Amino acid sequence: MAVVASTSRPSIASLEAPRLAHYLAVGLIAGAIIALQISVMRVFAVGSWSHFGSLVVSLAMLGFSLSSVVIFAGKDWFDKHWQGAATSALLLIGPLAVGSNLIAQTVPFNAIFLVSDPEQKWRLLANFLLYLLPFLAGAFFLGIVFLKSRTAFGRVYFADLTGSGLAGLVVLVSMYLFAPETIIVVPLLLWAAGSLLWFSAFSAWKSVVAGAAVAALSIAGYLILPGLLGIPDIAVSQYKGVAYARNFPDGKRIYRSVSPFGDLQVYASSYMHFAPGLSDNAAFGMPEVPANTYVGMYRDGDGPEGIMRNLAPAEQVYFRYLPMHYPYVIKARPKTFVVQFGGGISTQAALDAGSTSVTVAESNPMTLRAFRDPILKDVTGDILAEPRLKVIDYDGRLFLANTTERYDVIDLSLADSVGLSNPGGFAISEKYAYTHEAMLSYMHALADGGVLSVTLWNKEEPPKSVLKLYSTIAEAARTFDSQGAANDIFAVSSYLSTTTVLFKRGGFTEAEIKTLRDYTRSMSWEEVYYPGMAYDGSTAQKILDDYRASIFGSGEDATLTQPAADATAPANPDCDPTAPADPTLDTCAGAGGDAGPQVLPATALERMAWHALLTGGWERLASDYVFDAHALSNDQPYFAAYVKVADLPRTLDRLDLFQDDWGYLLIWATLGIACITAASLVLLPVLFGWRIVFSRSRGKLGTILYFACLGLGYIMVEVGLISRFTVALANPTVSASVLISSMLVFSGLGSLFAERIFDRARTLLPVVLLAICVLLLAYGFTLSLVLDWIGAYPYAVRLLLCFLLVSPPAFLMGMPMATAMTWLARLGKEHLFVWAWGINGCFSVIGSAAVPIVATSFGLSAVLQWAAIAYLVAIPAFFAVLLPSKAPAVRLVTA
Amino acid sequence: MKRRDFLALSAGAAAFSILPGAVRAALPVPYDRNAEVPVNDKKAFIEWMVANRGEDPKFLAERFDRFQIMVYNKDVLDDRNKRAFLSTPREEFVLPQNLGRAYDHAFLDIGYGVTISGPHLVGRMTTVIDVQFGEAVLEIGTGSGYQSAYLANLTDKVHTIEIINPLAQRTRRTYDALIDRGYSVFGSVTSRNADGYYGWESVGPFDKIIVTCGIDHIPPSLLQQLKPNGVMVIPVGPPGAQHVLKVIKQQLADGTFNIVRSDIYNGKVVPFVPFTKMEGDQIVGTHNS
Repeated sequence: MAVVASTSRPSIASLEAPRLAHYLAVGLIAGAIIALQISVMRVFAVGSWSHFGSLVVSLAMLGFSLSSVVIFAGKDWFDKHWQGAATSALLLIGPLAVGSNLIAQTVPFNAIFLVSDPEQKWRLLANFLLYLLPFLAGAFFLGIVFLKSRTAFGRVYFADLTGSGLAGLVVLVSMYLFAPETIIVVPLLLWAAGSLLWFSAFSAWKSVVAGAAVAALSIAGYLILPGLLGIPDIAVSQYKGVAYARNFPDGKRIYRSVSPFGDLQVYASSYMHFAPGLSDNAAFGMPEVPANTYVGMYRDGDGPEGIMRNLAPAEQVYFRYLPMHYPYVIKARPKTFVVQFGGGISTQAALDAGSTSVTVAESNPMTLRAFRDPILKDVTGDILAEPRLKVIDYDGRLFLANTTERYDVIDLSLADSVGLSNPGGFAISEKYAYTHEAMLSYMHALADGGVLSVTLWNKEEPPKSVLKLYSTIAEAARTFDSQGAANDIFAVSSYLSTTTVLFKRGGFTEAEIKTLRDYTRSMSWEEVYYPGMAYDGSTAQKILDDYRASIFGSGEDATLTQPAADATAPANPDCDPTAPADPTLDTCAGAGGDAGPQVLPATALERMAWHALLTGGWERLASDYVFDAHALSNDQPYFAAYVKVADLPRTLDRLDLFQDDWGYLLIWATLGIACITAASLVLLPVLFGWRIVFSRSRGKLGTILYFACLGLGYIMVEVGLISRFTVALANPTVSASVLISSMLVFSGLGSLFAERIFDRARTLLPVVLLAICVLLLAYGFTLSLVLDWIGAYPYAVRLLLCFLLVSPPAFLMGMPMATAMTWLARLGKEHLFVWAWGINGCFSVIGSAAVPIVATSFGLSAVLQWAAIAYLVAIPAFFAVLLPSKAPAVRLVTA
Repeated sequence: MKRRDFLALSAGAAAFSILPGAVRAALPVPYDRNAEVPVNDKKAFIEWMVANRGEDPKFLAERFDRFQIMVYNKDVLDDRNKRAFLSTPREEFVLPQNLGRAYDHAFLDIGYGVTISGPHLVGRMTTVIDVQFGEAVLEIGTGSGYQSAYLANLTDKVHTIEIINPLAQRTRRTYDALIDRGYSVFGSVTSRNADGYYGWESVGPFDKIIVTCGIDHIPPSLLQQLKPNGVMVIPVGPPGAQHVLKVIKQQLADGTFNIVRSDIYNGKVVPFVPFTKMEGDQIVGTHNS
């Protein structure tokens, strides 16, 4: 094979002089693949649970690595038959996408049975293999095109990236037009346009006709086949919230809007009952629970979140029994701020409590639009038109961080959460409203004597989220008021219901503490902290040890082997908790003597936590406790991922116990699978004959390292920034689309620009890599502030600013790949060329799985720092790429 | 297992397997709720059940194995509860495709987005409310019907409400078919398709209430329909790792009520061990290891 090193003129076989139509076609096909990726994730989000979608899709991207191994192994064949192979792969993308999606709906898997039902594993595998197929076809097409146009790599790569990037925006906008059950039309249309253009560019008119026929059949099949075959468009799990609403005899959908912010549906039924955290005493203090009070709002089938109708004056006593009423017990006629509107219950409670004005924020424009819809106006009595109400259409946290207004009450109640347990587990999602920084913003926005009230679900045993919340608020309180924090907090909880923490700027007075305690007693809630509360720490260590043993113990300790004589048995000798009779139950309930019912371990733990947080000893407690209890910060804004990393191996034989952290555990599984695949990819060429294939390729290890670093670095920046930009864009889908689009488009431009430095790459590319490294480090340190600032602008401006903010590193990050690939081609290292493509793809999957793990363990800035290091390591590795392919290396081969 | 037992069981199983599935024979002996079902010996249990209830020895063996683990885990404590568990044919309440896993530790799908809870959880919840004969029990969320069937072996006043109409009808048919076959005990179960949120005022108040569906608060009507010092249990949390909330309606000296929330272990942190498994008669390791 002819090899000319260090030449700027291509002389090896290539895709004959790519023309504009070729580039456009490549862009469209690459765009179709990204669009398919996003669409499949939407299908999973609506049908089952979104993080399984991410798992399936990110693993499907391994198709790129797989295809490159095959092309690598059969390079000569592909060189010869490239046109037929490319045509077949191209024509298969659409039918495979349609067919796979259709069949996948007949083998839905159910996350909640993943551990207990052996069949579910196979269903998950079937879903993965099915969705792999269209990606594999796309990867083959692009792989072959890159192989054949290797000397024009920079331009084809530009087309690939820009096409992918723009398709991200196209899908985003399309989500306004297409519901999840028809969204795959978008990638199909892009694919159809790309295919026709591709065949036209070669004047292959027969193929154009064939392509048009296949495309028309695919799209028609996608839209019609489910109906004909009786297969659902999307098999919605019977365990999704919305499935229950559909099962209610009188369940009726009264509203639906589809948008990038999700598939929002509202169902009405007399069977909907919400009263988040309602005091048990409501049963005796309230004449009657208001009936037919709610409709249920579902986002992507998850929920419901209750939307409340206007209550008649006689019914309004109801609010007194909800935990969001707390701040109004000591604040009359306050000026109130509600951080998240959601279903409107907190807002109603604030209005009902006599607030002179209520400012309420809602960052999801679709929620506000729904409330302005005539049907929902009827239901809610048009709450948004209430004269005392002022609506802020972006994040309340950002508004408060940037405003000079001061409020008497700031309420953050049960934001982003529904009351029922989520059987799919929690995805690793950022909860920026609950971070240290957010709490500080709320505290700063309080008027003198103002009260911040935060309510969270307390449905975990052992407690998880509530401890993270407590440590966040305590940390913020100590930052805000280093001397008086212990006087500023009042906290209560209700076992397996909710917890509420009040922070008062300037501290609570004796009288206020008394009022709050009386109210707490009247509601049968438990006090967990108030200034001056007596504390007995004698059982602290025992409780911590017991909690650890309850999760990671052998199950044979304490209770099971020596139940009756157990040291933890209540002090009351008549109470044997393992004995059956009814009187015993009552005896036990009253155990603990005259002091009333004994303190439950969870409540005792919460008291311990507050004591340690405000008087010292928290670090020790947190390290002894079975689950992670560290404060949330903008850098680590996660309630999920509560299993400590060191405990991960111990979860394997008891996965059932961690169902609510499966989002996190799945990421580890993804990482494991990606690592195994990457390792095999590196090893495969050895099996295929390393010495023969690479005999003329020097710098193999350096080249692998280089492309691994680029794969890791690029995806870590992309995925890491998606999480970060959610701060300003308030929605993960929008953030993902904007980030993917801007990153890819600017990187595409970067790869196009890289042509200008090809000849001076040896000196210039290391500078570029260093610049990327420095930029990423700088972004890591400053992004939080910048995004907070951006977050306060109107949405369109925010989109534009975010788009531009990404451009400098993205532009530079487009250059290293194009430069190195072009040099591999120029140096005649064709096998390495194909292989490098695969390595890059594989490490992208590793990187995307690593991001949440790095973010939860070390923080989001660490993600950017790790990416920066990857680019730094790529500098020396780059010189290995430049080693000429012939010469002394021969000795190695013959040795 | 001894060879003789094996032969006896195999013969029993073979005899059973030739019966057509749809038409099951009536019980050989009239059903007696208070019968002395053997609880200490597997073979005696199986023989007794085959003779008196005509049930499949395969399921009986699985039931007894599960029972032993439940006893070990203290999910069932007293003899009445033990007999009630052993008398309830769980296999009649699972979907055909799950028959092979009827006595697994895990919860199983029964359609409509509803599960039949694992035997350990059912045993524990039933033990906690400690039903005495004659007490009125209300169940919110009939589901498969297994929990009510279990309760029917403890008292003659079981009321159960299911919100999903087709499921309520299906379970009613299951009961009726079992009653036709001679399980007269299930005649104690009154079932109804309605919104359990409002309880069942016309037949209340109740000594004990079991809620088996998710809700973000305890429905006030249920607390109202609970008798003074009555007990209610509600499982909270993800399936498989559910924690049971116990609620007691305490009547104070002045006649007013105080609602006490507690866990079923009265303030003890207990290990979550829903998945121990047996080898022979020994309890070894866990299902996932």
